[in-house]
Amino acid sequence: MANVLEVRGLNKSFGGIVVARNVDLDLHSGRVVGLIGPNGAGKTSLFNLISGVVRLDSGGVWLDGAPLNRLKFHQRIHRGLSRTWQHVRLFPSLPVLDNLLIATRDYPGERLVNVLFGRRRLGEHDRLARDKAMDILARMGLANVADALVTDLPYGQQKLVGVARALMGEAKCLLLDEPMAGVEGASYATMQRVVREVADRGVAVCVVEHNVAFVRDLCDEGVFMFSGAIMERGSVAELIRDPQLTELYFGH
Amino acid sequence: MLDATIILQILWTSLATSSYYVLFAVAFALVLKVTRLFNFAQAAIMTIAFYTAFVAVQWLEWPAWAAFAVMMAATLAASYALERIGFEALRKRGVSVMFVFVFTFMVSEFVDYLAMLIFGTWPQTVFPGIFWPVTLVGNIAISAWDLPAIGATAGAFAVLFGFMRFSRLGQFMTGVADNPELAELYGIDKRRIFLVAMLIAGAFSALGMFLYGTRAQVLPQTGLNLMLFAVAATIIGGIGNVAGAAIAAVILGVIQNASILVISSEWQGFLLYVFLFLAIIFFPNGLRLPQRRRFATASETLAEQDAPPAESKA
Amino acid sequence: MEYLDGLIVIVGLYVILAASFNLIIGYGGLVSIAHPVFFALGAYASAILSRDFAVPVPLAMVAGAAVALAASIALALPSLRVSGDYLLIASIGFQLGLLEVIKNLRFTGGSSGFTNIPPFLIRDFGRLSYVVLVLAATAAVIWLVRSIARSDYGRAMSAMRDDELAFASLGRNAMWMKIAIFGLGSGLAGLAGALYAHYFRFVTPEQFELLQSAAILTMVVVGGMRTTWGPVVGALLLEALPQALAFLNLPPSVLGPIQGLLFTGLVLVFMFFRPQGLVPAQDVWRGTRKAEETR
Repeated sequence: MANVLEVRGLNKSFGGIVVARNVDLDLHSGRVVGLIGPNGAGKTSLFNLISGVVRLDSGGVWLDGAPLNRLKFHQRIHRGLSRTWQHVRLFPSLPVLDNLLIATRDYPGERLVNVLFGRRRLGEHDRLARDKAMDILARMGLANVADALVTDLPYGQQKLVGVARALMGEAKCLLLDEPMAGVEGASYATMQRVVREVADRGVAVCVVEHNVAFVRDLCDEGVFMFSGAIMERGSVAELIRDPQLTELYFGH
Repeated sequence: MLDATIILQILWTSLATSSYYVLFAVAFALVLKVTRLFNFAQAAIMTIAFYTAFVAVQWLEWPAWAAFAVMMAATLAASYALERIGFEALRKRGVSVMFVFVFTFMVSEFVDYLAMLIFGTWPQTVFPGIFWPVTLVGNIAISAWDLPAIGATAGAFAVLFGFMRFSRLGQFMTGVADNPELAELYGIDKRRIFLVAMLIAGAFSALGMFLYGTRAQVLPQTGLNLMLFAVAATIIGGIGNVAGAAIAAVILGVIQNASILVISSEWQGFLLYVFLFLAIIFFPNGLRLPQRRRFATASETLAEQDAPPAESKA
Repeated sequence: MEYLDGLIVIVGLYVILAASFNLIIGYGGLVSIAHPVFFALGAYASAILSRDFAVPVPLAMVAGAAVALAASIALALPSLRVSGDYLLIASIGFQLGLLEVIKNLRFTGGSSGFTNIPPFLIRDFGRLSYVVLVLAATAAVIWLVRSIARSDYGRAMSAMRDDELAFASLGRNAMWMKIAIFGLGSGLAGLAGALYAHYFRFVTPEQFELLQSAAILTMVVVGGMRTTWGPVVGALLLEALPQALAFLNLPPSVLGPIQGLLFTGLVLVFMFFRPQGLVPAQDVWRGTRKAEETR
């Protein structure tokens, strides 16, 4: 069980408000960690800090043993980190399939030299990318909307596409920010299945979620955050049963 | 070499001439702070102000105070039109930054060309002459223009400060500047605040052009060149910091004037562009730190927008 | 005939300027008014190298484009490190400032201009050969911009414009992409400048001023951003109008401002009543290779 992502002593304040208080976190290959807590606990902020969207005040983040602190957001993605967004953030000017095709690990088609002179060389890469994208879409039951515009899709499907896009990059560590918010019905089971499959392939997954049932069914362990600090770690069932945590959660 | 007299003279003259720079900088910085807009159309407002005063004095032969009054009226009307017909329409459409820029730039250019067509391209001044009587204090030459200019600028600034601090409208303006959505929730009428900011900026621009045009020559494109100074001062002073912009304007004015000691006059204009460039490269957040607010990094700002309101409070 | 040749050359060069500016402002989403100054850099660099340093004209032309490219990167790199808005302000300073420099330096000929630029092709093959050269260059640039826009690169640019943060979450460095586009567009403007210099053999700073910024902007906005033919239509229209005006025999002091009013007025009218321009762009990116695949 390899330690894919390590977070030590993360601290961050925004103008007097502490969003991260000495946070430690470990994400292991093949395990799904559920990050739960009331609104304002700092869960999304933690994702922003880990991925480098927001600069930390102190502490460190390591991916596969290599420090990420000095790297910018896009550089950390390159190293094997991937994340989704609470508000999806798909590209409205591209059809669903292109939203995935653009998310591959490498993109030789975007080197200007290849644009002008190497159209034929790219055929193989394109075919593989297309196959992979269609495969992911099929597993999510979205194969039929590959050519649709993202704005034409219902919200639940958009969220699934968002996760699909995050999967294209074959990351080592996946951070899912509230994948179930606003999603119901069939998509629920699909999302569970997809995340489980991803983890089984060796990816370290961390999910921020309010949907307790989802977290309980899916996650191997839970982490409870409150006011920027990690209060408890343990199995999700234990965390749910703890009366103090329940009060913190619902007291807000 | 340099003796005290020369240095003092330069300091005094630059202080006096930085008066209009301060006015332009404050106008630009205020609009930026309150409406979050880089108002390049301010150059158009400035051009309109000058030529109104020019026409009143030199074509209609009105006394100075009447010219000043009609200049103010024209400028305020133009500012009103710009805000209500221009910016409001663009805001309603939710257009991009680029769109707004193209719009303000084109408005300034349009007014420039109009002025060129009507008034030609030779230099003009408000009064037929720009020679003011000079008194010697110690060995320093003080022009009769200097004190009124400094006085008017200081007065305008004091009035603005009083307004922002002590009047309800001024306090609302600060509120809207810091957090427009929150201000709206409190029932503050954003539209009105934006208009007031534009009108104040217009008044400051008009005063500045009146001062400038009574001391130096103006061409149709002068507005844009003076505006660049305001932009540089606003950036160096710190975006969102109006007092900072004013101080930066004074400092830049002094440096530009003092540069006559080391470089020839034809290169003095070029110095302004150097300022602008240096400001952007080295001081993107301004020299003053207190009001750094939301302009940290682009991604930080975007990330904050990503978090739902509840999350961002803690 | 000579008049017509000159007109075709000018129109061709402005199509190149409009198309390359469309790359920067339309596809790249970068706001800048500094396009004419790169046109100028290409023209002056090529002219100075070929006249005063005996560099053969084709080489000097390439050098002109290279100088424009380098200068644009020098402008874009520090500015984009801060944000896209800063590029705008920096470009204003750059455009106006660099022209000031050119006006005050002796080796550029100062305000009176640079004369006696070595000709190219015309003495050996006749005027028409140069016209063909310019038209070929124009066609090449149109093809180039179109190819880029419809390729994976164009797709990436579309995504970048949509949501830069999400773009970064795919591991992309948006800043470098913007610098590359800015450099390419400005380099092409420099090439146009070099072509200009060796045809008309005389350049002055006032040919590269804010009026040209407004004109190019108008061509792209009125013609239609993010389309292949929009800038072409815009350039043709906006070069035809002044020619029509010239027939009115107005004095130059009136002609200049009227041209300016026309350009700026047109943009303002279009911005309010038809912001998409004469040739509207599609909202959705569509590439070429997508059509080739079989499913």
